[in-house]
Amino acid sequence: MAENFDKKSFDEKNFDKEKNFDKEKNFVSAVIYVHNAKERIGAFLSRVREVLEKNFEHAEIICVNDASDDGSADAIRACSRCAGNVGITLVTMSFFHGLELAMTAGVDLAIGDFVFEFDHAVMDYSPDTIMAVYRRALEGYDVVSASPDKKEKLSSRIFYRVFDRFSDYSYGMATESFRILSRRAINRVSSMNETILYRKALYAHCGLPIDTQKYEPVRPEGEAGGSSGRASDKRERAYRSGLAVDSLIVFTKIGYRFSMMMTVGMMLISIFVLGYTVITYLTAHPVEGWTTTVLFLAVSFFGLFGILTVIVKYLQLLIDMVFKRKHYSFENIEKLTK
Amino acid sequence: MERKRADKIIIGAGLYGLYAALFCCRRGESVVVLECEDAPFTRATYINQARVHNGYHYPRSLSTAMKSAGYFRRFNEDYGFCVNRAFDQIYATSSRYSWTDRAQFKAFCRAAGIPCEELVPGAYFKDGLCDGAFRTTEYTYDAKMLLAFFMEELGHFKNSCDIRYGFRISDIRKDGRRYVVSSGDGQSFEAGFVLNAAYAGTNQILAMAGFEPFKIKYELCEIILCDAGEALRDVGFTVMDGPFFSIMPFGKTGFHSLTAVAFTPHTACKGPVPVFPCQEKTGGRCSETFLANCNACPERPESAYPYMSSLAHKYLLDKYNFSYRQSLYSMKPILLSSEIDDSRPTVIRLFGKDPTFAAVLSGKINTVYDLDEVLSDG
Repeated sequence: MAENFDKKSFDEKNFDKEKNFDKEKNFVSAVIYVHNAKERIGAFLSRVREVLEKNFEHAEIICVNDASDDGSADAIRACSRCAGNVGITLVTMSFFHGLELAMTAGVDLAIGDFVFEFDHAVMDYSPDTIMAVYRRALEGYDVVSASPDKKEKLSSRIFYRVFDRFSDYSYGMATESFRILSRRAINRVSSMNETILYRKALYAHCGLPIDTQKYEPVRPEGEAGGSSGRASDKRERAYRSGLAVDSLIVFTKIGYRFSMMMTVGMMLISIFVLGYTVITYLTAHPVEGWTTTVLFLAVSFFGLFGILTVIVKYLQLLIDMVFKRKHYSFENIEKLTK
Repeated sequence: MERKRADKIIIGAGLYGLYAALFCCRRGESVVVLECEDAPFTRATYINQARVHNGYHYPRSLSTAMKSAGYFRRFNEDYGFCVNRAFDQIYATSSRYSWTDRAQFKAFCRAAGIPCEELVPGAYFKDGLCDGAFRTTEYTYDAKMLLAFFMEELGHFKNSCDIRYGFRISDIRKDGRRYVVSSGDGQSFEAGFVLNAAYAGTNQILAMAGFEPFKIKYELCEIILCDAGEALRDVGFTVMDGPFFSIMPFGKTGFHSLTAVAFTPHTACKGPVPVFPCQEKTGGRCSETFLANCNACPERPESAYPYMSSLAHKYLLDKYNFSYRQSLYSMKPILLSSEIDDSRPTVIRLFGKDPTFAAVLSGKINTVYDLDEVLSDG
């Protein structure tokens, strides 16, 4: 009986016998940020899944549903039914967190040796770009981003220009659609910061080799107007402009420079006014002095308010980073396929 | 047509079934054990993590924890010969996605009265992935050694203990003050007491007897046996409390068992009876009215080893290596009430007295003693 017992249970199953000789052996994870993308997510998810299934022996996809209220989750569930050997997991955030935190939540759950981050569900690139980026990473780059080779929006251009102008470090950042991270890069970044405010900036100065691949943007299938679908959501737009301001404050010296400039200007003005007052006093026309006094007051108050604004902004950021939402909060994790 | 009489009929020759049989035999009663497989211990008793629970596993259900801890000592005294104690059992709380953090786990251990010695997470886990690590007192048991013990003990009761393998129950009915349990090929047994210890098959038995089913869901689970590398050989890891994993010695087999909350259950079925797509391919061998043995099934799912091992490697330091040996599959019923607090109560239900019909459902090995009361009563 005991032998029988053995034989039945100890039945070998050999993985190497699978017919996947040409497939990549690395385990990759793909994290997709989803916020009110019901129209696009189905097609996007299928494309990513096809690429992963075709090229990798084992892969997983994690969809981070950032409190969508348009039924994106159902679209993801429907799409995951046709999944083959790629596991699909759906993480639902409890409330709107925005791209940065939600993506961090997804990456924390990912188990792959390499992790793709898809910042939005618009595929304005050919699916081959995904593999091109992966292969570039294998050449020895811990972070490889895919960036559209087109003129950036004015607001983005200004943002990146200001960012580079006011930071000590040359980030060379640009608009990106997705990127791949090595496990090493993920570990490095997470040990650098408790809260990740702006991942792109952290990746850029994590000290590991990084690279950007430019791609020729193509019109996404089944969509009328280029990348019009992107960030069309009101909440997302507001989040993005808020993030831009926060990132500039945290990662650049723009606030400090501004207050420095104001302080120096005010000091010069006060010295000048001081001299002027002394001279006026000596030449004995004190009544006329009130004009300059008012002028001085106006300028210094303006400067003081400027400094106060910056200080308040700093304080608010400190509070945000230290106390508020130290971690993200997720509602549930649903494993849709294996 | 054979119609044998016994004091008690026990359905299922897993640990709960054989424990009940031995318990009754020692009390001088005669028992019949009916098992659909050709051997005992072929399903969940053998195919599970083999954990002898001391409560650590249930940081959100103090009641389950304290009950486990209470029986832990007794199980180790009674069945110490099959218990592997020779390893460090490390529990850790994941920094992310855990329902319980380091401080909460410590507080929980204190409340449950179970020992836990705090360690430095960095000594075992990659930077930042676990916020707490603890050396705990928890062991694993060896199902085959346990089985050998029960077979030997039951061998002393040749006249009063009758174990029937390959017995497919087709009918259970009440006949006066007795239950008559019959198989498809015309064998029948009658007794004034029936214990249903069929675990995953419990609702099918209850349906035949005309009783209300347990509210359960089913999960087809995979346990992976691994060859542990040098550093891992005498260590077991359990990362809590969410979609994580554990890898630890599998009894005294020399293998480590690898399981992961997210990947061990392959498919789940929420209904009261198990309906799975793979059943269609078995040509009627396995159905919602009779669950065949998943481990011996050609339609069993492909191994999730790539997923489980990636998860484990993400957490563990690189020196803890292991390699795939084989997969074991079994069906696991889970009480629906235990989803929120993740408790694993042992449920014993009595369906009428004299004749008595009792059903037991438990996911833990060391709560087997819960049976004593109902068995002495009947």
